[in-house]
This record gives sequence, C-alpha cells and structure tokens, in this order.
Amino acid sequence: MNRQSSLSRRDPPLRSGFFTRFRLSWAIWFLVGVHAVVVLAGFIAPYSFETQEREHPFAPPTRLHFVDCAGKFHFRPFVYVTKAAENALDQYQQDCSQPAGIEFFPKGDRYTILGTFSSTRHLFGVPAPTNLFLMGTDGFGRDQFSRLLYGGQVSLFAGFVAAAFSAFTGLLLGGIAGMYGGRVDDVAMRFAEIFITIPWFYLLIAVRAFLPLQISPVTAFLLVVSVIGIVGWSRPARLVRGVILSARERNFVLAARGFGASNAYLLRRHLMPLTFRVLLTQMAVLIPQFILAEVILSFLGLGIGEPFPSWGNMLAQAQQYHVLVSYWWMLLPGLAPVPVFLAYHSLAETLQERIKSNF
Amino acid sequence: MIRYLARRAAHGLLMLFGVSVLMFLLFQTAPGDFLSEIKVSTQISPETIATLRAQYGLDQPLPVRYWQWLKSSARGDFGYSFAYNTPASTLLLPRARNTLLLSIPALLISWLIAVPLGVLAAGWKSRWADRLFSGGTSTLLALPDVLIALLALLIALKTGIFPVGGMTSINAQDQNTWAYVRDLGWHMLLPVAAMVIGSLTMILRHVRASVSEVLESSYMRAAEGHGLPRFKLLFGYALPAAANPLISLFGLSVAMLLSVSLLIEVVMSWPGIGPLLLESILARDLFVVIGAVMLSTVFLIAGNLLGDVLLYAFDPRIRRQA
Amino acid sequence: MSSGDLGLPKPEPLLRVSALSVDYNAAAGNVVHALRNLDLEIASGESIGVLGESGSGKSSLALALLRLLPKNARLVSGSIAYRGRNVAELSPADLRAMRGAEVALISQEPALALNPVLSLGQQLADVLRAHGKLTRLEVNARCTEILRQVGFEDPERILRAYPHELSGGQRQRVAIAQALICGPKLLIADEPLSALDAATQADILDLLQRLKRDLGLAMLFITHNAGALEALADNIIVMRDGEAVARGSMDKLQATTDDYVQGILFPEKSLATHTVSSIESGAALLEVRGLSKRFVQKRMLSRKEFVVQSLDGIDLSLSAGSTVAVLGRSGSGKSTLARCVAGFETPDAGEILLEGNPIATAEKNERGARPPVQMIFQDAATSLNPRFTARQIVAEPLEIARWKTDADRTARTLKLMEEVGLDPDWAARLAGEFSGGQRHRLALARALAAEPRLLVMDEALSGLDMPLQAQMVRLLIDLQSRHGLTYLYISHDLNFISLFAQEVVVMDAGQIVERTTPEKLGQSVHPATRELVEAAERLHAPGVEAAV
Repeated sequence: MNRQSSLSRRDPPLRSGFFTRFRLSWAIWFLVGVHAVVVLAGFIAPYSFETQEREHPFAPPTRLHFVDCAGKFHFRPFVYVTKAAENALDQYQQDCSQPAGIEFFPKGDRYTILGTFSSTRHLFGVPAPTNLFLMGTDGFGRDQFSRLLYGGQVSLFAGFVAAAFSAFTGLLLGGIAGMYGGRVDDVAMRFAEIFITIPWFYLLIAVRAFLPLQISPVTAFLLVVSVIGIVGWSRPARLVRGVILSARERNFVLAARGFGASNAYLLRRHLMPLTFRVLLTQMAVLIPQFILAEVILSFLGLGIGEPFPSWGNMLAQAQQYHVLVSYWWMLLPGLAPVPVFLAYHSLAETLQERIKSNF
Repeated sequence: MIRYLARRAAHGLLMLFGVSVLMFLLFQTAPGDFLSEIKVSTQISPETIATLRAQYGLDQPLPVRYWQWLKSSARGDFGYSFAYNTPASTLLLPRARNTLLLSIPALLISWLIAVPLGVLAAGWKSRWADRLFSGGTSTLLALPDVLIALLALLIALKTGIFPVGGMTSINAQDQNTWAYVRDLGWHMLLPVAAMVIGSLTMILRHVRASVSEVLESSYMRAAEGHGLPRFKLLFGYALPAAANPLISLFGLSVAMLLSVSLLIEVVMSWPGIGPLLLESILARDLFVVIGAVMLSTVFLIAGNLLGDVLLYAFDPRIRRQA
Repeated sequence: MSSGDLGLPKPEPLLRVSALSVDYNAAAGNVVHALRNLDLEIASGESIGVLGESGSGKSSLALALLRLLPKNARLVSGSIAYRGRNVAELSPADLRAMRGAEVALISQEPALALNPVLSLGQQLADVLRAHGKLTRLEVNARCTEILRQVGFEDPERILRAYPHELSGGQRQRVAIAQALICGPKLLIADEPLSALDAATQADILDLLQRLKRDLGLAMLFITHNAGALEALADNIIVMRDGEAVARGSMDKLQATTDDYVQGILFPEKSLATHTVSSIESGAALLEVRGLSKRFVQKRMLSRKEFVVQSLDGIDLSLSAGSTVAVLGRSGSGKSTLARCVAGFETPDAGEILLEGNPIATAEKNERGARPPVQMIFQDAATSLNPRFTARQIVAEPLEIARWKTDADRTARTLKLMEEVGLDPDWAARLAGEFSGGQRHRLALARALAAEPRLLVMDEALSGLDMPLQAQMVRLLIDLQSRHGLTYLYISHDLNFISLFAQEVVVMDAGQIVERTTPEKLGQSVHPATRELVEAAERLHAPGVEAAV
C-alpha cells in the first residue's frame, strides 16, 4: 500500500505509463534527429565552414521574404543581394532589384560525410552573388549557420565519446572495486576521491594544461575527448561500485550463491543488468556535462582551434566588446546546446524514475 | 565534536597531499615537453634561470621536484613563477582573496534563496505550479555558463549602469574606505549575479527533490495526523529531516560554484584565480598552475569541512556515531 | 449493557461512518475499490476491533477518518461524521483542530512514525502547542505526565532523547504518548503491533488495555491478528475486500459458520487436523557440533572494538523428515545459526555435518552441485530479483546447474508453481507484480527446485498476516510429507509451533538454553522460554498449547 502523506505532491510511481514513455521517446527521437542533422552537416549547410565571404564581415542574418519590394507575393522564399553601406562597414542594405529564390539541391562547396561519401549537392542554397546567411556571419565573413552545424559535430560527439570513455573506465574500476571489496575497494575509492576533491573545471584545465598547446585539430579532438573522459571517471566509478556492493548483499544474489552460482554467473545474470541500467542513466547526465566541458575548453582557447568550428570557439569571438554589443547573432552558438541539454535532462530524469520505481 | 572535526580535517589534509601528488604525476607523465615551453620573463638573467632550475629540481626526477616544492611551500612560497619572476604565492594569494570575494557572497545568496523556495516548491499542491517550476528550472539549467557570463557582460555594456569588468575603478585606491567599498560592490554585482544564476537552479531542484522525498515518509504523515500547521510541517519537520542529503549537496555546490567562478572571472575580467590559471597555462608557468589548482582544492575542502560541521549540528544520528 | 436497555434514547455515537466508499487510482489506469459501502459506529468509550487480511481495506479506513488519504485516493460516496460533523466538509483549520486533539492515529512501524532528527520532547511539545497556547512549564509538565502514563519511569531522559536511541517498543510507547497528549476522545490504532517482537507486542497490548480503562478512550483497533483483540475489543468488525462481512462481539463471532471469518479468528483451525507425527529417532540428517561465531566491529581510527559472540558452542541434531523450531529474542543468535547451516557464514569453530559429511560453504561450491541445504529468507520481496519473471526465478537453480534442457526446466517450473499454489499461467509475470504472500510461494518453489534435503527458514513467516501465515504453514506441512523434507524453522514467536514442530530449541545470547517439545513448553521454567510463552499467552497466539 502506498504510504504517502497528503502533503506529498508526487504521484505514486507509474509502471511505464503513457506519459513516461512519451517523454522517453520524445527525448530519444529529438536527440537522434539532432545527431543525424550534424552528421549530415555537409549536406544541410549551404556553405563550408571555411568559406569566407570577404565582402560581408559581421553580416546580420539574411532576411527571407515572401513579398517583394513591389508588393508581389511569391511562394518560394527569396533573398536580396546585400551590399555594405558606403561609410558604415557593418551596415548592409538590400538591393531590391535582384531577388533570388532559394534553390533546393543546388551545387555548392565540396564536402564529405563521415569521411566516405563526398558530394557537392547541398540541401538548399542561393545562387551567387546573393548570400544566404541564416545566422549571419562572423568577422571573416564565414556563415555562422553552417559553422554551427559543423561545430555541432565536434561538440556533440566530443561529449558523447568522452562520456562513453568515462563510463567504460568507471565500469571497469568501479566494478573491480565492488566485486573484490576490502583493500582493493579502499584504495580505489581513495584514489577516486582525490579526483572528486578538485573542482571539476580546474581539474579539467589543469590536465589540459600539461599537454602540448600547439596541436593539429584531429589530435586536439582526441586529446580533448580523452582528457574529459579521464577526468570524469570518478563519479561513474563510485556509482558502479556502490551498485555492485549493495547488490552483492541482496538476498537474491545470496540465494543464487546458495544454488551454486559462480561469480561469473552472478555478474552476468544479476549484477551487470543492474549496473548497466544505472550506468545508462549516468551517461545521460554525463553527456551534457561533457559537451559543456568541450564548449568551455574551446572557448578558452584550450580545445579545438581554428579554423575548425566548435560551439565554444565560435562563442569566443563574442568576448570582444564591440562584437558583443553590436552583433547579437554571434551569441547564437551559446543557445545551440540548450535544446540538446533539455533533451538529455529529460532522458536522465525519466530513466531515473524507472530505476526507482523498480526497486 | 572536536574529535569529529579533527578527523575530518585530517582527512582533508590527506586529500590535499593526494591532489598535489596527482598534479606532479600528471605533469610528469604528460607527453610533450612542458619545461622547454616555459616562457621566461625577460628580466631574469640566464644564470638566475639556471639557479632556479637547479633549486626546484626541474631537471631532476619527480620525487626530488616534489620534495623541493613541498619545502618551498612550507616556506610560504609555493614554488616560483618564471613568468613574473616572483614566488608563486605573491601572485596566488591576492587572486585567492578576489575569488573568495565573489564566491562567498554567491554561495550565501544562492542557498538563502534556494532553501525557502525549494521547501515551498516541495509543498505546493497545484500541478500547474509544479510544471512551471520544473520547466523553468530545466531551461535555466540548460543554459551554458558561458552564455550567462557573456549575457552579464552584455548587460553591463548596453545599460551602462554597471561597470564593465574589472574589480575596481582606476582611481579607487585614492578614495576613502567607504567609497572604495561601494565601488567594489558595484563591480561585484554583475559577476555575483551571474554566478548565482549559474548555480541557483541546481541547488533549488535538489532542495525540492530532497524535501519532496522526506514528505513521503511515514513520520510526515504522522505529524500531519497530529494536526500540526502547514508551515511547521514544512520548515520545522521536513526541512530538518532533509538536512542530511542537503548538506552533502553543500559541498557539491561549493565545487560547482568554484568551477563557474573560473569562467565568470575570465569573461568579466575579474582578477581572481581563474584568469591567473589561464595565463599561467599559456605561459607554461608550472608552479603557478599547480598552485592555482591546489588553492581551489583548498577552498573546496574548506567548504566540505563546513558542511561536516553543519551536518554535525543538524543530524543527531551523526552526533551519536562521532 | 447499553443505555438502550434502560429505555433511554441512545446517545449520539462519537463516530459514525455511513456507506463509505473509497477508490484508489492505481498504476496503468486501474481503479482499486479499497472500501465499499462501509458502515461503522463507535460510541464514546467503546473499542472496536477491525479484523482482516492485508488488502481488506483496513488501513484505508484509518486514513480516511482523518482525511489523510494519499493523493490518488478518492472518497466516492458515503460520509464520516465525528460528533455529528461531516469530516469531509471541515475547514482546514477545523480539520487541524480535530487531528490529534479529538481523534489521534497511531500507525505501524513506530520507527518510521517519529522524525529522526528532532528530539522526542520537541515532537511531543509540538503536538501540544499545535492545539493550544501553553507556557513552557505547562508543556513540560504535560509531556512528563503523559510519558509516565505510557510507562516510562524516567521521562526527563526520554524528552531529551532522539528516536534512534530507543528500542522499537519504546518508540511505539512514545508514539502512543504523542497521540494521547492532547486527550483525544478517539484513538485509531492501525496495526500498532506488527513491527514488534512477541514480548514487546504483549507489553504494548497491556498498555493499551490499561489506557482504555483509565482514560475511557474510544478505540478503533485495526489488525490482522485476532488474538490481540480478544482482551481489548468490545465489538469486532471483520473486513474483506473493502466490505464488512461480519460484526459482533468476539463470542458471537466465534460461533459463526462462515469460513472466512473462522479462518481469521482461528487461523490454526485449518491446521488442527494435522497431527504432528513423532519421528522415530533414526539417523540424524543434520548434526551441528560446538558451533561458534563472533563478529567484530571496528571503527576506523578508533581503538575500540565491539565484539559480539553470536554463537557459543551450539550442538544440535535434526532427524530426517522432522521439523525443529529454533526460538529466541532478537540478538539471540538464531539468524546466525541459520546462516551458518545454510552455508552463508563460515563459523569460527565447530562443524556442521550433513549425513555425516561436512557441509560445503556457499563460497566454495563446485559448479553443478546442487547443495542439499536451502534457505528461505524473511523478506520475500528482496530475495527475488524484481526484474526476473516468475519462471526465471523458480528455474534459477536449474539454470545454474544446467539441468537437462530448457523445455524440461520450463515443465518442471510450471509443476512446482502449481505445487505451491500459484497459477502456472502467471509464469511470465515479473516478480514485482506478485503480492507478498505469492512471493513467499515463489521463493518456496525456487528452493524446491534445488531438491534440497533440508530447508532453513529464517523468520520466513514473520512479516505475513495471520491468515496468510496459516496458509503457508499448511503448505509447508504438505510439502514436507510429499518430498520428505526436513525443516529448521527459526522464529521469534510461537505462532503455529505446536502444530508442526516436533522439537523446540530456545536460544538466548548465543547459547541453547532449552530443548523441549511444544507440549512441554508451557511447563518450562527457564526465563527466556517463559518470556516467550507468556507473551504468546497475552497475545493469544494461535497454536500455542499453553494458551488453551
């Protein structure tokens, strides 16, 4: 029977009610969608991340029109050519005489997807000399929207891979500590505690600090991922160790021992399924944290460097006062993680609820 | 009580040693040559450099280096800054003070807001208010700290009410104490506000979650059955019972706050440990790097110790075990 | 004799429940009808017992009376009138005034009914202060007075103490004090005895009787244990599935012919037909010689050690096919004995022989060997992996031993499920979907799958309500005769012992202090045994010869 006071707001736990499943699927589908979009960045983005449009530094987002200067309505949205104003380099004026409709599947810069598939067809774009800067440009005239998508590749996957790395290390070390207990456990936990005692970002930056500063982008990516992953191992490890220690004392594990079960059987049938569910939930918490870590590292100049975009190094430009005040679209990369984080949080909450209701 | 504290303090000290060893190990095992990249201040003569290298055992094996550093720390120097040609402590300590100037108010304000609000939120009856709370805090939580810092800067720039970055105005030193304090306060306002926004939501959600869980206990229902008024139930019964997990959260919140402070300090040019750490990394100033990390760890340990004291005060079960 | 006999109009009852129906919205859209059309009246000073199995709705009744039902419960129809006023329509202020001062509730699990971080004095005083303005001195005086009334001799110490410093029985007394401190007219006791051990249960029962007499309290006493009501209740209502199926005084109910009511009042009757056959002393199946075990608790950084001598030179022998009950208070070492015999603990000294061969500890089992000793744990819920289906649970010993083929295992599983009284169609359901009693059966089926010779039951029935205990005992007796099992039955109370145990062993402080048979229990003079027997008498525990 439910022993709850009428003060308690929370409804009694639902066993996979409709609402929970809906939330779960929303979060998962959204994340899958977002990741698919960034993987296909080359195709979806109108421009490459390096293409510079020197005539249009710090251009505001291109305005899409359905009604032209003469008042006529068009079905297909179109844009006008913009030209820098005479005396103010960052004011742009539209030229009503040359409308250009948005084309679908035009040819553009060459790109590769996942290093294998290469093409020049993009999802949409506009013919030269018009530009389609959906999120404006930066100081070098590079399309922010395209860079956002490419940057997403770096930031999202860095977080994901680092979290997987962390979880794996945590599983290994925490599992060993939990299974063997005693001395091994003590030593491992003291060691983990040292990592937790240092404030997270300080540790991150310190570890990064000792590694070489000038490195190629690919190495940088791997480096960042490993650093974040290594630094973050202690929380998953403690979690796994806690789960295994308490599970070992559960009566159903004891009962299985009583039937002659070997350690391997116990691990396989009872302990691992338990641990995986907890670990999965932990990953949903870790991934956004690690994405944020990459963003901050790159923002401070310690992560992915130019010319490769990452949401972090794109934001770094906004640190300059004149950029911050005048060009509001440069802050958009800071908003990009928000829906992703929301989805991961929702996922984590739902998973946590399910674990609680089953035990 | 003293014994309990002494034990926790000894534990903290042990952790501190562990951290310092870890730092040196990291430095040792990292690939690439840190030492050769050290940018040395042009004011130091090569002979001095050589002496310093020998003194700190930079060409020697790890244990020697560590030992020399320990000795130097015992002297109060905490190593030497090659970039600024001065003992590391002269750089670290004023910065530490500045970081505390931001962190402590932010910590206090965050908790002072989060606790009452969280308790009330746990006791709300309306589902609608619940959804609003969850949605609002989720969104705020999802905002990256970087963005918050940049937005704070933007507000300063656009409105002109707040000073833009820095800790004090140029002529602050010349003014009397009261004016100095006021000037400092103006400068502190935005960074502290940014830090509070960054950490408040997390604490708020945890407070609500802990109190909610307590509200589901049998003793809460029993107390309600005895006719105790609502306010007393929430703040006199539920909150103390939730104190244990909340105080554990306290240590965590200190850690989070320190991390956020790093970013805010850099973006808003507040001369705290954060910018110093960044600079020294780029300048490969080894001892300052290690010193900065150690300092932040000391703060965290101090915060945890405070949490232990609070736990002792609030939970009679801990008092019995101690 | 009521005032109705004198020809005077009957006074308004203190509490009148009319046609009360309460529904719960459970998971997945199901609606559970917790109470159906319930009628109830309590006059001033009268005590009513509410008897029923778990799930019969008794707790919902208690909660409904004070409007403490959880959020997912609804009062569908009917009314509750306290002193003529409808409880459902009281304003929040009036409701608060009623709670604690007029009607007070004591629930089960006294450990959980008191706030762990506040002192007991504070929790008592808060109830007082919630219902009136009193000075510090007055509050203090009243608290001390009520603590004395519930039987504490040093109230000052209790006022300063915290819940974790008191024993279960003491906590329940404080909870009772909290309920009575404002002098309510009606006390609702929701299973106040369940979480306590037998001797303490008897003590609390005495206390309640005394309070009823001294204070003229009206009482609503909810329980599944009919024995407790015998001395306490003027009238009894028997509930089943939310409805009242029988009412009357204890004498009147005892004469009823309804099976269900009989089953609740006299759970041991269903077993009375079984005569405990005396076993000829043949070869001993299990022999325990000189078993000793101590536990050392050492704290880090402290030189103090706590040494507990859990077992001290235990000698025991069980004949094949017999049942030996091991009784004792908590802390007497019986659980440790059970765990050693089952192989979960390694003794420091002594030996355990099964048919002459030393028992293998669970740690060193060879794969494929199905150990002949199986343990049934007390808490069935935690002894089953909640993510496993019933089939997986029962078949687990067979899986581990790689017994025959998968199809054979399934067939055997289904047969076992039937044997223990479970519907084989439920084999695919998750463990969490079964009720408490059904989970006990699952655990039994699983143990049987391992084809044991000896079953060790460590307080296996303690958490169940009486009628369920009776059913389980019946089942155990059936299985014993069918499979030729030997039982080592550990318990802290005497329920049903005389009906299925051949020998009784009493333990105290790690040693065996008496060996006797159930018939001779009442004649024992050893203090530990007398304590158990007397508690059983005061509780009218079923199946205790001495009580009859």
